[in-house]
Amino acid sequence: MDVDIVCVGFGPATAGFLTTLSRQLPLPDGTLPQVICYERADDIGFGVSGVVTRARGIKASFPDLDPTQIPMCAPVAEEKVLYLLDPHGASRRSLTLRAADALLKPVAKHHAFELPYIPPYLQKHGGFVMSIGQFNSWVGAQLMGTGTVQIWPSTPVAQPLIEDSKVTGVRLVDQGENPGMDIRAALTVVGDGPVDPVGRQLDEKFGMPEGHHKHDYAVGMKFVVNLPEGCPLKPGTVLHTLGYPEPEIFGFLYVYPDNVASLGIFVPSWFDSPVRTAYRYLQHWMLHPYLWRYLNGGTLRSWGAKTLGESGKRGEPHLAGNGYARIGEGSGSTNVLTGSGVDEAWTTGTQLAHAVLELLKYKKPFTKENLEATYVKRRRESWVEQEGRVAERARDGFHAGMVTGMLGMALAGATNGKINLPVETRPAGGHTPSLGEYYRDRIPADEIEKIRKECAAKGVSAHNELMNRVGWPAIPFDSKLLVSHQDALLMGGKVQAPAGYADHVVFLYPNLCERCGTHICVEVCSGQAITPGEKGVPAFDREKCIHCGACMWNCATPHPEDSSRTVLEFGAAPGGLHSAEN
Amino acid sequence: METVLLLTHADAGKPALEALAAAIPLKRDGGTLVVGLFGADVQPFANEIAGCGATKFLAVTGAEFTQARYASDAAAAEALVKASQATIVVVPATSRMNRIVSGVAHRCGGRADTHVTGMANGNITRWYYRQRMESQQSRTQRPWFIAIDPGCHAPYSGAAGTAATTPVSVSLPTITTQVTGVKAPESSQQTIRPDAKLLFVAGAGWTKKQPDGQAHVPEAAELIMGFLNATKASLGSSKSLVDLSGEGQAVLPFMSHLNQVGQTGSTPRHPKGLSTCCHGEEPHAVGWRFIGERRAINLDANCGWARGKADVLYVADAFEVMRKVNQLLGAR
Amino acid sequence: MSYQIVVCGSIVPDPLQTLEPVSGPTGPSLKNEMMLPSVLDPWAWHALFEAAHLAKNVAGSKVYLVSVAPKAKLQQVMMTVGQKAPFELIVVDGPSSGFTDAAEIAPLLAEAIKGIPGLDMSKLLVFGGWESASRGAGSTMQIVGELLGITNQFQGVDKLTVGADGSFEILERIEGGKHQVSKCAGAPVVLGWATGSLPEPPNNPQIGMQNMRAIMPALQKAKPAKVATDAVKYASVALPKQQRQTKIVKDLPADEIAKEIVAWING
Repeated sequence: MDVDIVCVGFGPATAGFLTTLSRQLPLPDGTLPQVICYERADDIGFGVSGVVTRARGIKASFPDLDPTQIPMCAPVAEEKVLYLLDPHGASRRSLTLRAADALLKPVAKHHAFELPYIPPYLQKHGGFVMSIGQFNSWVGAQLMGTGTVQIWPSTPVAQPLIEDSKVTGVRLVDQGENPGMDIRAALTVVGDGPVDPVGRQLDEKFGMPEGHHKHDYAVGMKFVVNLPEGCPLKPGTVLHTLGYPEPEIFGFLYVYPDNVASLGIFVPSWFDSPVRTAYRYLQHWMLHPYLWRYLNGGTLRSWGAKTLGESGKRGEPHLAGNGYARIGEGSGSTNVLTGSGVDEAWTTGTQLAHAVLELLKYKKPFTKENLEATYVKRRRESWVEQEGRVAERARDGFHAGMVTGMLGMALAGATNGKINLPVETRPAGGHTPSLGEYYRDRIPADEIEKIRKECAAKGVSAHNELMNRVGWPAIPFDSKLLVSHQDALLMGGKVQAPAGYADHVVFLYPNLCERCGTHICVEVCSGQAITPGEKGVPAFDREKCIHCGACMWNCATPHPEDSSRTVLEFGAAPGGLHSAEN
Repeated sequence: METVLLLTHADAGKPALEALAAAIPLKRDGGTLVVGLFGADVQPFANEIAGCGATKFLAVTGAEFTQARYASDAAAAEALVKASQATIVVVPATSRMNRIVSGVAHRCGGRADTHVTGMANGNITRWYYRQRMESQQSRTQRPWFIAIDPGCHAPYSGAAGTAATTPVSVSLPTITTQVTGVKAPESSQQTIRPDAKLLFVAGAGWTKKQPDGQAHVPEAAELIMGFLNATKASLGSSKSLVDLSGEGQAVLPFMSHLNQVGQTGSTPRHPKGLSTCCHGEEPHAVGWRFIGERRAINLDANCGWARGKADVLYVADAFEVMRKVNQLLGAR
Repeated sequence: MSYQIVVCGSIVPDPLQTLEPVSGPTGPSLKNEMMLPSVLDPWAWHALFEAAHLAKNVAGSKVYLVSVAPKAKLQQVMMTVGQKAPFELIVVDGPSSGFTDAAEIAPLLAEAIKGIPGLDMSKLLVFGGWESASRGAGSTMQIVGELLGITNQFQGVDKLTVGADGSFEILERIEGGKHQVSKCAGAPVVLGWATGSLPEPPNNPQIGMQNMRAIMPALQKAKPAKVATDAVKYASVALPKQQRQTKIVKDLPADEIAKEIVAWING
């Protein structure tokens, strides 16, 4: 099939692109280019996240934006950054941190210390807290209402079509015996987010710009919660936490109108744990005395997880080539210093739309040269680029530990990115210690092996047993907010998978998986979709996959032919979360 | 003052007796009860309920009314309602009555409520959104047709006698449909049996690896079949087990989507339910809304059943327990 | 012989969504109803698959999908539905709520069907779900049939076979997991489908593209329908609370558990 413009993925970037483009369609000469967007999730707005954003780009597109028109959206009213102490003594803390904890303990309230000052680069005053799921649904409904662009949910793209170094469109994913259709387009817009299954194939083909790489990721897991009646948190409240449940794990709590909150944690790739499960840690985080006094009695509305690309500008691929352009998080737009991505992604989409309109107006082809002169030029001149450069190396310090990381962020923030800590970064899965190394002071090696074997025989991950063993208290399930992982999938994420598709998680070299001592893919899996399998090769259940993509970058075994990849292949597929509240 | 009509085909059996029991209290405040029956021969059932206090037994009879067929049934029902001048028409929610009830209500200028599970204080109780919310509601428009779900009322059990029936004539449209028979599921086929005392639910755990590291699907199938043969229980399944069969994995051969219980499946009605190898997660447990006593066997003491969804959870290996259960039941 | 197959189907919340009733001036509705992700009613889905299958096998046949639903929601659903089978969409912009009386919806559907250009009763097969997943009443299709003057009506249909002479053999679900078999001379008929016997067709963007060309204008053309909300007086609509006191039995030998279970079953 032939169209004029094909887009891969409907996230904030493509939403910005299509919003800007559709306002100028049909073109002044009366023609209506055929514009199609393919989204892998089963509906618009499924599986994206809640955010706090300054919304500069979004407000530029919607100058009269009224947050009351969008469910789960409120202006930022109050911001706090909290350092959480560990009330159980179960987390792994360096000596420096333990010393700091001892100092803070007398002044802490509810085991938390409120930072007296929030650096300007972290402030979100004047912005919004909102559910990107609801925002995207809202934008999507408006877009479809124009009748100028089509958005196809539940339609994953398998690969770009490349001929003679030119991208000529995309191929859709096969469904059963039906081979995926080829969609040929003059321009392919790749906005497939942080896991970028299509974008990665472009990177493999065209390489990354010199010195650029995608080393840093995080998995963000969140709950949307009906807060208990009488909860004093006001809409627009923004809480950010650090220090607990592990020093490397960050937390957030954003309060929406109607006593609803979006809350969760980020488990970053530089947290050197082979059992970095997000679900169990999220429960401990909610149970922290500072937060639990607000959450106790609340109920789960929605749950989900997604990968965040934390490489920012450093992970920027070639932004344009013959027949294609990259926008959004997968194009390196996220600002890792301010922790802001949605607004930047949106803005890159609008920049591309202006460029496309210009090229259409002058009837110029979508060549690398023309796209660079229009899209890339606009991007380089914008605040997204300028601020992205400041942030480029701001997080490198985390590769040398939590305290160094915070120092690095402060330095980069204070000097506008001029001074950065000279720390070498490594691929995400490349520095995961073995279980034995990680727990060497806390659990004897033979006991670790015993726990591992028992869990494998039961077909479950080992992190629960190991965390119990080192002193994490049992979760007091209450069937409301503290529910089993599978109940979170079903009650919160409403996870489903349409029939007829092949597995989108593939273990490329089973023999290497057999020899893998960590199987971190099993431990991190956000949906318990990857479990210990036959002969040590993990098993994958697509019915439970929420497409967070964490397995792909957490895998600790490098691909034998390409060290920038792992032996776990993660592709686009339909299904996953069926909640648009996240 | 209401004129209440019990409207049913004469071979409806117990559901008709239940509907009658539901109808009788509606004629309060000096109302009247009328019985309207249709079928090949209505006299035996009329006699069975002769003592119900009905002022009239209206009857449509004839060979045309043997078959459960819309055209003839609707015509018969319409004639009976009109002859009775009923303001409230109570029908048993058999498949035969469900086929016609709202069409007949339309013909008579009335409105129908179906799947009614209870009646009190002038309101009926019914469910919306697949048994997920329960409503108490009423109507002022008459005649008001109310289809009573089977199993929600104790059947009428008054004295039998000899009922004097009044024939009602019907003008039939041209009949172009003939019922040619009934296809029963093959005897090996296990389904939800609405009349069973017990619902047995098999979860995906039956097909998963057991502690010895192997899956034992043939034995699982044998244990389940043995139990079903011995107890004549209704067989339900979790969604995950049914979905497995869609993916071409080795699963229980007698399971299909017809067995699925829960939010995306059925909500059967049985006095007791036994869940095995199923985690009792919310979307599945929703389908247990009308199961009276609930017990579960699962290896996980922390599964959904443990948290208020079952009366008793046995933390045990279902293979082992069901082997013993079958022995005790004398199953082969 | 070719057919005009009209499938009636509205939208319902995606089945795994958390639903909560709220009451307003026009009766009960679902909390956040317009923001809940929606799907085509699952029973109507089956009817649509069967219709598409039949149309494919009987040359010259055409499938119409008539839907009473808020058009803003319908558009999104059609992006998915439109990929499954070729059909022409006819939209009546109205409520998809389960709390709207079936007798209010049926006339809208019947009028929309009567308005199909070139409608030929001798070719008309009216399909729909035997129930909806919202109201779950199993009432609408009968009234549509009555309004169209069709007295060959079947409910809980799992199979339709067209004979060489153009007659239909129809399997309807009845009690005890059985099917009643009927022979019907031919169109027009009303079939309220249960699950049918066909698997979900794969997504086909090609069909989707074709459909979308007509779906977008159909949505734009859709006229808002007036629906009375006073037929049913709702005294209360509530979520059931069914929390039990679970007794957890651990460390009891299998023998003992089996004895308890057998006693319970026989008790």
